[in-house]
Amino acid sequence: MGDKREISRRTFLNYALMGTGGFLAAGMITPMLRFAVDPLLQGHAGGDMVAVGSPDDFGPDPKRVEFKVHTKDGWYESETTLSAWIRKLEDGTILALSPICKHLGCTVDWNTSPDFPNEYFCPCHMGRYAINGEHILGTPPTASLDEYETEIKDGKLYLGAVKANPRAGVSG
Amino acid sequence: MAKQDKDATFVGDSRVSAKRIPNISPSYSDFPGKTEPFWPNFLLKEWMVAAVCLVGFLILTVSHPSPLTDKANPNDTSFLPLPDWYFLFLYQLLKYPWAAGDWVVIGIIGIPGIAFGALMLAPWLDTGKERRPSKRPVATGLMLTALVAIFYLTWTANDQANHLKHKSGGEGGGGTPPAAAAPAPADSSFKADAVWKAQASCMGCHGGNMEGGMGPNLQKIGSELDATQIADIIKNGKGAMPPKLIKDDAEIQKLAEYLASLK
Amino acid sequence: MMQKMYDWVDERLNITPMWRDLADHEVPEHVNPAHHFSAFVYCFGGLTFFITVIQILSGMFLTMYYVPDIINAYESVKYLQNEVAFGSIVRAMHHWGASLVIVMMFLHTLRVFFTGAYKKPRELNWVVGVLIFFVMLGLGFTGYLLPWDNTAYFATKVGLQIADSVPFIGPYAKMLLTGGEIVGAQTLTRFFAIHVFFLPAGLFALLAAHFVMIRSQGISGPL
Repeated sequence: MGDKREISRRTFLNYALMGTGGFLAAGMITPMLRFAVDPLLQGHAGGDMVAVGSPDDFGPDPKRVEFKVHTKDGWYESETTLSAWIRKLEDGTILALSPICKHLGCTVDWNTSPDFPNEYFCPCHMGRYAINGEHILGTPPTASLDEYETEIKDGKLYLGAVKANPRAGVSG
Repeated sequence: MAKQDKDATFVGDSRVSAKRIPNISPSYSDFPGKTEPFWPNFLLKEWMVAAVCLVGFLILTVSHPSPLTDKANPNDTSFLPLPDWYFLFLYQLLKYPWAAGDWVVIGIIGIPGIAFGALMLAPWLDTGKERRPSKRPVATGLMLTALVAIFYLTWTANDQANHLKHKSGGEGGGGTPPAAAAPAPADSSFKADAVWKAQASCMGCHGGNMEGGMGPNLQKIGSELDATQIADIIKNGKGAMPPKLIKDDAEIQKLAEYLASLK
Repeated sequence: MMQKMYDWVDERLNITPMWRDLADHEVPEHVNPAHHFSAFVYCFGGLTFFITVIQILSGMFLTMYYVPDIINAYESVKYLQNEVAFGSIVRAMHHWGASLVIVMMFLHTLRVFFTGAYKKPRELNWVVGVLIFFVMLGLGFTGYLLPWDNTAYFATKVGLQIADSVPFIGPYAKMLLTGGEIVGAQTLTRFFAIHVFFLPAGLFALLAAHFVMIRSQGISGPL
């Protein structure tokens, strides 16, 4: 009996020690942990949509627009100028292409090469894309031009994040 | 309470034994066979090896300053991304179709996970008493296979990177020397002349007002290069810039003189 | 004089037993390159430690000039490399040492593996060694970003992309390392903290365990 009580007293003290230790550790670590994982829980800034004019400004021919996006990286904020080639598709939806060549990142231009009319042309390594950004097979790019997410709200066209263009390459 | 000899005596009221052990090195004859004491005999040999290595290392540091490429520019998409060399094997593994795309789990968790997991658990996977490599062929064989794979993947990754670098004109990658001057910050109020505005292929990379983009900022290029050097770059290209984008010599001359006047 | 000082400390702390244990432990013939040249393979562990010491020292001195901030990081590295006396040597020591420590550790691991030295009773020391390997790779990865040049920036982007594609935990791990949506100001400070405080703390603990175990278990016998 006495022997058993001895053990249970020791066990109790051991539990109490572990409990106090756990409290000390948790009390120290919890604020730090929450501090460290903050970016995980802040959630997406939503990818600010930027207005670039009325959807009626754009016809079937691609038109270049420039717009500024505000990027916020912690305490560091900056403005970046982006551009897009925008056209209205046959079904009336808007297609906004990023002009960054998928080969090595030069800037493509619409209809600038006399040899390849009505195509996006990259001067760096003769990359070519069809009107909806489809890369032309046999030229350096291996993917179609990225497109911006678009949204029409209150009669204005908004551009959002860049996403991959689902259109496959075509033969020129 | 730790058990203590009843007759033990201590320094003052401390736990330090009052009995002094003499600090005498044992005679060399106490070391059986060709064993030797760690201090000073063996440590001297280790430090001599270390000294040889240090001399080689210092020569390396003096003769090869560590590389520093241009300041990080997230818009510089012409830069060929490459991890440090000891991650190349993993990077290369992920290029293979059976370890990428839908199978990326194999490339990331499957193969490296199993390999490193097995490495860590080696003592429990290879439990035999035998220690000679030849007497435990499975362990030795697997390790040799892994070594061959790592060397092959690293070598292939490096080879492909060199190939790409060469194709895109030698820009990018780890070994490029530091640029002579930091790129000038873009001046947004700067307006380029009509001579510049006429060159769509230049504007594509250097920007509509020469503020730079994929190519460097040219707003003050005249303070670094003269007209002849600029004309030469336009004709022959430089780094990632392709040659012969303008064919007409007179046009090149006009543009180069304009650029050289920008200071 | 030295003898007096030693005796004074010894009387109070009884350091002689520890010191004699360290100094007099027998180094067997089969690991001694003076007897068998091939025993140089047993030097790789010591050399790994030697280069680790170089890394710790050179890293400590580099932080005298380095600033972990996206505006100034590159400028400060450029300054310490080009303007400060011996700056290019100290930075080169840290840069090349990082590669060399991986090479030495790799060779040391192979030596231990092929001599079967990880077998009972040295399993735990092997596991600690593999953990040291991982910590070193982590140090290499986080340290690579710090100069904030193009090489660093894009290598880190690739690395984080790889982390991102790990199923389930990947995106969280990436977010935790990046500290935001993009590789930027918060990534650099995080990598700096991990490289300079978190991983070295882990490394010291593991190294201590590694050495204590080597001392208490002794070197594995000849094949």
